[in-house]
Amino acid sequence: MSETPVENPPAGDARNEDIVRVDFQFRRELAEKVEGNLASFCYQCGACVGDCPATTYSDEFNPREIMLKVLYGLGGELLVEDSILWQCTNCYNCHERCPQEVKPVEVIISLKNMLADLGIYPDPVQKIIKTFEETGRTTPINPAVDRHRAKYGLPPMPPVPMDEIRKLIEPRTSTGAAAEEGESE
Amino acid sequence: MKRFAFFPGCLIPARHPAMEFAIRHTLGNLNVEIVDLEGASCCPDPIYFKSKDKLSWLSVAARNLTLAEDLGLDVFTNCSGCTATLSETYHLLKDEGLRAKVNERLKRIGREYRGTSRVRHIATLVRDEVGYDAVRESVVRPLEDMKVAIHYGCHLLKPSRIMQVDDPNDPNVMENLVTALGATPVRHKNWYLCCGKACQTEDIPSNMMHDLLGTVHDVQAEILCMICPTCFGQFDHGQMKVCKQFGEDYHTPPIYYFQLLAFAQGVPYDELGFERQRFKPECLRRFEESAESAESAVALPPGSGKTE
Repeated sequence: MSETPVENPPAGDARNEDIVRVDFQFRRELAEKVEGNLASFCYQCGACVGDCPATTYSDEFNPREIMLKVLYGLGGELLVEDSILWQCTNCYNCHERCPQEVKPVEVIISLKNMLADLGIYPDPVQKIIKTFEETGRTTPINPAVDRHRAKYGLPPMPPVPMDEIRKLIEPRTSTGAAAEEGESE
Repeated sequence: MKRFAFFPGCLIPARHPAMEFAIRHTLGNLNVEIVDLEGASCCPDPIYFKSKDKLSWLSVAARNLTLAEDLGLDVFTNCSGCTATLSETYHLLKDEGLRAKVNERLKRIGREYRGTSRVRHIATLVRDEVGYDAVRESVVRPLEDMKVAIHYGCHLLKPSRIMQVDDPNDPNVMENLVTALGATPVRHKNWYLCCGKACQTEDIPSNMMHDLLGTVHDVQAEILCMICPTCFGQFDHGQMKVCKQFGEDYHTPPIYYFQLLAFAQGVPYDELGFERQRFKPECLRRFEESAESAESAVALPPGSGKTE
C-alpha cells in the first residue's frame, strides 16, 4: 500500500511510525450522513477509476484514492478549500461499476455535506443553494421569465409554498446547528 | 387517454419554456394527459443542494413525490437531473429507517411519504406508455436523411439499478425515438461521455466537451439530440466557450428531443424557440420547405400550448 517499500518488522516489534492510525472519529462523522458509511465496503479494486471522466481529464482526481483516504480517516486531506471533491462530474459511472455497491459518488457527496457543515464551499455552488433556499427553485424567477412563458401560451411560474420548504430543511439552514429535538440521529 | 403527473422542475419552465411547450404539445398528440402538480418545488437538484445536506434533499424530494401520491398518479420528469433526484429518492426510501427519518421531517408540514408513485423520465414514458409506433404515426414531416447524433447524458441511464431504464453500456431508447421521426441516429465514439456541468473546474468539462464534439463532427451529424436541459445548456452556451478556447468551429446545434418531435409533428420552426439558441438547427428548415407544398393544414397558431 505504501509508496516506499518498508521491510516487514518482526512480529511483535511493530514500530509506531510504521502504523497508519485510522481516524475513526472522522469516519463516524461521515457515516452519519446518508450513505456516508458505504466506503467501508471498498476493497480498492479500482473498477471505479477506468470509467471516471474526471480521472480521464484530470491528473489529480481518482475515486479509488478518495475512498482509500476515507478508509484511513484522512479527512483533513479532503475537507479543505478547493477540495478535489469538486472535480467529480456526478456522472454515476463509479456507482454503476462498483462490485461492492460502495457508490463512490455518494460517498463523495456525503463528504461534501461535511464540507457544508464546515462552511467551506465554492461560491458558484453556494449561490445556487442560496437561490433554492430562498425561492424553492434553483433557477431564479423574474418577470421576464413569465413574459417568455406567455409567448408559448404557458401560464406564469406557479408559486412554491416556501413555508413548507423552510420547515423541511430547517436543521441545516440556521448556522449549521445540530439536528433539532425529536429527530433521532 | 393515460394520465400522468408532470414534474417540470426549474430549468425547463424558467429558462426553456419552448421545451415545455413542445412537451405539452407532443404528449397531447400522443394521447397522454398531463396533470400539473400544484405546489411543486425544485426536485431539489442532485448536484448543489444535495451536496449541502442529503437528508434535507431527500425530504424535499419526498414532499414533491407526495404531491403525485395525493393524486394517485405516477409522475414523469423532463430533465435528467430531476429524474435522478426523484428516482433515487423513490429507491432510497424503500429503506424503512431512512423513510422514517424523512417522514419525521414531513410530519412538520402534515405530510407522509408512502412510496406509491413511480417516477419516469419522459423518454421512457413515451417508450413504455405510448410506444415507438405511435410516435412514428404522429409524424407529419419525416426527417429523412438527417443524421442525428445522440447525447444520452448520465442520469437517464445511471445508476441502472435505480433508473431501470436501459442497458447503460448499450442503450437504444434514444436511437429508437429518433428513428421514429424518420431520422438516422448515429453513435459517435464518445457518446457515453458526461456533459461535465456538475464539475466545479474549468479544464475537465472543456476538454471533455472538446473530445465529444470532435467525434460528433467526425460522424457528420447535423444535430446533437438530447433529453436533458442541463446537457443542453452545456452544448449550446458551453460549446461556444469550447470553440473559442480551442479555436475550432464544430457548429453542432444541440436540440431537445421533444422540440424535434414537435417539429416533426408539424409545429413551425419559428414557433419552437430555436432563435434563442447560440447554435441554431437551421438544417431543419429544409423539411419545412419540402412539406409546405404537400401539406398546409398542420400549422398551429402561435403559442398554442394545447391540442384540442
